[in-house]
Amino acid sequence: MATPVIMPRQGQSVETCIITQWTKKKGEAVRTGDILFSYETDKASFDVEAQEEGILLDIFYNDGDEVPVLTNVAVIGKAGEDAESFRVGRGSSSEESGSGSGSSSMGIPIGLLTATVTAAATSSTAAATSSPATATATAASHLRISPRARCMAIKLGVNPENITGSGPNGRIIVRDIEAAGQPYGVAPTYTDIEYTDKKLSNVRKIIARAMHESISTSAQLTHHMSADVRKLLVLRNQVKAEMEKGGPNITLNDMICFAVIRALEKSPEINSHFLGESIRTFKKIHLGLAVDTPRGLMVPSVQNVGELSLKGLSGRLREAAEQCRKGNINPELLASTAATFTVSNLGNYGVEMFTPIINLPQVAILGVNTIIHRPADLGNGVFGFIPVIGLSLTYDHRAVDGGPATLFLKEIKEKIENFNEKI
Amino acid sequence: MPKSQFINPADIRKPGKLTFGSIPLNQYKKGIADERKNFSDDDFLRIFRDMVIIREFENMINEIKIKNEYHGIPYNHPGPAHLSMGQEASAVGMAYYLTVDDLIFGSHRSHGEILAKGLSAIHQLSEADLVQVMKGYFNGKVMAVVEKGHQGTVMELAVKFLLYGTLAEIFARENGFNKGLGGSMHAFFTPFGVYPNNAIVGGSGDISVGAALYKKVNNKPGIVVCNIGDASMACGPVWEGISFATMDQYTQLWEEAYRGGLPILFNCMNNQYGMGGQTSGETMGYGIVARLGAGVNADMMHAERVDGYNPLAVIEAFKRKKKILLDRKGPVLLDTLTYRISGHSPSDASSYRSKEEVEAWQKADSIVQYGNDLVKAGVTKQPVLDDNRQKIIEELTDILKLTIDDTISPRLNLITNPDAIGELMFSNGSVDALDTRKPEALLSQDENPRVKALKNKERFYVDKEGKTVSKARQYQLRDGIFEAILDRFYKDPTLVAYGEENRDWGGAFAVYRGLTEALPYHRLFNSPIAEGAIVGTAIGYGMAGGRVIAEIMYCDFIGRCGDELFNQLPKWQAMSGNLIKMPVVIRVSVGSKYGAQHSQDWSSLIAHVPGIKVVFPTTPYDAKGLMNSALQGTDPVVYFESQRIYDVGEQFHEGGVPEGYYEIPIGEPDIKRKGSDITILTIGSTLYVALKAADTLQSKYGLSAEIIDARSLVPFNYDLVLESVKKTGRIVLASDACARGSYLRDLASNITELAFDDLDAPPVVVGSRNWITPAYEMEEYFFPQPEWILDAIHERIVPLNGHKTTTDWSVEGQMRRSREGV
Repeated sequence: MATPVIMPRQGQSVETCIITQWTKKKGEAVRTGDILFSYETDKASFDVEAQEEGILLDIFYNDGDEVPVLTNVAVIGKAGEDAESFRVGRGSSSEESGSGSGSSSMGIPIGLLTATVTAAATSSTAAATSSPATATATAASHLRISPRARCMAIKLGVNPENITGSGPNGRIIVRDIEAAGQPYGVAPTYTDIEYTDKKLSNVRKIIARAMHESISTSAQLTHHMSADVRKLLVLRNQVKAEMEKGGPNITLNDMICFAVIRALEKSPEINSHFLGESIRTFKKIHLGLAVDTPRGLMVPSVQNVGELSLKGLSGRLREAAEQCRKGNINPELLASTAATFTVSNLGNYGVEMFTPIINLPQVAILGVNTIIHRPADLGNGVFGFIPVIGLSLTYDHRAVDGGPATLFLKEIKEKIENFNEKI
Repeated sequence: MPKSQFINPADIRKPGKLTFGSIPLNQYKKGIADERKNFSDDDFLRIFRDMVIIREFENMINEIKIKNEYHGIPYNHPGPAHLSMGQEASAVGMAYYLTVDDLIFGSHRSHGEILAKGLSAIHQLSEADLVQVMKGYFNGKVMAVVEKGHQGTVMELAVKFLLYGTLAEIFARENGFNKGLGGSMHAFFTPFGVYPNNAIVGGSGDISVGAALYKKVNNKPGIVVCNIGDASMACGPVWEGISFATMDQYTQLWEEAYRGGLPILFNCMNNQYGMGGQTSGETMGYGIVARLGAGVNADMMHAERVDGYNPLAVIEAFKRKKKILLDRKGPVLLDTLTYRISGHSPSDASSYRSKEEVEAWQKADSIVQYGNDLVKAGVTKQPVLDDNRQKIIEELTDILKLTIDDTISPRLNLITNPDAIGELMFSNGSVDALDTRKPEALLSQDENPRVKALKNKERFYVDKEGKTVSKARQYQLRDGIFEAILDRFYKDPTLVAYGEENRDWGGAFAVYRGLTEALPYHRLFNSPIAEGAIVGTAIGYGMAGGRVIAEIMYCDFIGRCGDELFNQLPKWQAMSGNLIKMPVVIRVSVGSKYGAQHSQDWSSLIAHVPGIKVVFPTTPYDAKGLMNSALQGTDPVVYFESQRIYDVGEQFHEGGVPEGYYEIPIGEPDIKRKGSDITILTIGSTLYVALKAADTLQSKYGLSAEIIDARSLVPFNYDLVLESVKKTGRIVLASDACARGSYLRDLASNITELAFDDLDAPPVVVGSRNWITPAYEMEEYFFPQPEWILDAIHERIVPLNGHKTTTDWSVEGQMRRSREGV
């Protein structure tokens, strides 16, 4: 008897996943444990292995399709067995969803797909697809958009979630969709050999939305300061020496994060979430670490870092970054609400100064820059160059005023300059 | 005030004394023996039979109401039953000499009157006439039920037809005389001269006067009897109807051929109680109803009290009074003294009267008394009367069985035809004239001074050179109304127009200037300052078969004719099963500049009540075309006019207002200016405010507004509006009506439902403030201004770059005002 392959659910909040690539083709023989396809959620990517042996009788969704979780995506069985009966919505749903390569649904979240699609899916596969219908409602309801603008967005293939409304109270109205649909005012006349269109990955979508929301809804500004890192460099040299004997690789970033944690302990108001009507200050520190991955920026949260030793912290940070790069991080740790403060380090790339964007509802983020040498009074009338590291603190002025923010930044600087940890 | 009448101070300031004549009370003193020369034995017995039929009919309904059965036949009748047991002699006496040309109007307690008048008509009509009436009614459907198995005369069949049609009506069956849509308190049957009974106390008080006016103006035979109760003598419509009926002009000003009083008999069925209130001794001060006649006119309305417990006394009185009316000496007030043995309704515990009182009147029961008199006089014998009564009971039992059988007598089927009642709300006729006579006029149309003057007017607002025409040379909105009305006066001989200051003055706003010269008094006259009677008589006039234009000088005065506009005018076409037509146009002028009680646009109130067509033209072209449609139709139309724009010229219709006849269908809005970015839908003179707003939208903000004039409120075709919204995605609605409960809200809500996916913003209503209308100098803070429309667009639809609002459109402000009720 044929068995369906379903799109697994990863984490409670995940409603849909995108098939990134099929590794098996329709009609191909598969063995238990073979990787059938890989897929990604909005935060991570995964592989699906065959649970049975047999022929891959049919594939219902193609590369790049967005599929509700727990939906049948393929069927494994013996040659000649019926696969069609496993197809969700007997065609209508999958055909609609399968038209992802066309332009009509390009870039539009599932919440904006036509109601008939959702209705068909819901009615034909009662339990399995009832959740996407719910997701539709919630996804769409937070968006202030006029009915006409919504219809136009679908027609023009514009994703209204990335648009700031210009109507009353920020409502997205037709002119906003028109502007987004034709960013240069005139329809471009390029032919399709002059460009390529690539569907946004879920990760890209989520980053776009989060970053835009952050910059457009909060009151962000950045203070810059630099800290003398002579002590850190000494320690780093010791680490390198220890590494040759098999010691752990404690990076400069680990040390800075350690200093940040110490500073946060003194400034709990920074270790907070701004919730609109209230500010939630956390008793424990959960540090977010910006990690660059091939799929885009990810910010895993490392929980309860307050009690960790420098070595312990270093290990936890490394582990989180690796999980992100592999794509097997627990998706729930990627939520911006999972961390209470974030550190983003661009020092390795030689960046001397930048203005990181806050992961709302966190109230601040520290950008760590490269080390430069700067003239300094070394005492006794002697001037020389000392290594200093740039620190860029972006904070949300809705939650924190300039004074406390500066004191916090200064505290980090002092913790760095007076870094007393041993390996 | 006509110039022919001179009010001489020397005369009217003379001292003197006003004296009244005497009013006869119960003067009838004859017995059966005296009346033998006037009545045959059959006549005497028929009077008895008719009284018993009524008594038993009412008894049957009473039994059903209180015991849910009649002679073993179970039935539940949840509806009303205001019975008249005890009043049979009054009803039969009234109907005896009335012919089918004599029309009776009634009250909520009129079963007896319907039956008495019907039985009288059946007796008078030939068999051929009866068959024609029965076959002609709903294609003989009602007749077919009683005809099945009938063995007897046509007259006997007609009696069954009458009983079945009435009972079926009371029980809301489709075979009822009014398809079951009238019911107990509204049943009637016009072929027998039975006109609507009225569930509103005193409701017939002015409507019946209109029917009498119709008889008089159109030289129709017969009189009109207004059967109302003693308690209704307190009601405004009754007093206003009496005032309207007793105007001096009928005898002093109307042309010779039409001179004389209205043929109307106010017959007070004086059962001495208004529900539980005792009129003589408690709730009124007249003591004897007939006294009222003394205060009304010099004839004292020929008022008289007659013993309504003696059928012969009532017959005799009606014979005399009918002659007075036919001699054009009306109107007449008759105080027909009677008593209701039954309660006001079956739930009446008679807590307001003593047992002794009821028993005393039962002892004097007219049926028992009259039967005894007949036996005593040797006209008949008691067993014959008893046998008679038994037969009637049997016949009624059979009728009841037929009536409550759902297969024989179903109700209107609203499952197979959910719109069955909707189809009866309007008659939607198109009729040039309601009679074939040549219309009477004093001048030919060409000789009319206003027609001549209009020949020199510019019928478009700019002349051929494109220069704006001066007011004096402009063909104005009021001229458009005038032309349509004048045209109809020369087409339809039944058309009459009246209201306050309609003659001589030419209407307060000069719409009728030129009509006084053209029309005899009976076609155009001044009414008393009695809006209830102005509308109420128009209803009666239309019901009786004529076409009429009644005028309400200020919209604010429609409160004075609320019952007529809300309960009477809209209801009778449907409540008659669409047998009655209501070709009545009510012109209502919406004021301005005159403060809180003279400046309100109440079109929304009228539009709310089902059964009236409502129009509000705002250009000369529309005014003429819509008035033509209103006057061509057979439905009630309330025609709103705005005093702000009586003098506007035609700015929209290319070529100006045509001189010839044309119609604009009621219910079709019109695009007054094409546009692409936003739709503005207006009702009334706010059109011109919207045009100014549109100019600013274009010049300052580059938005092109499409302006639609609703023109009609009911019916309303959304096609044009939805098409416009599909294009623009945005709509503002504006009118001078107060924003709360405005008809615009209804339009806005429907547009939201019908065009939701086309909308880029919610439809926004701009109405007047929910205040009193302040003085003219402050009106700009009360009525919608062009800036208000811009503010609404800016705040609710699409922000206008650099626009500064002058009015508060904040959500908080709106909610606060709502909380405060302003």
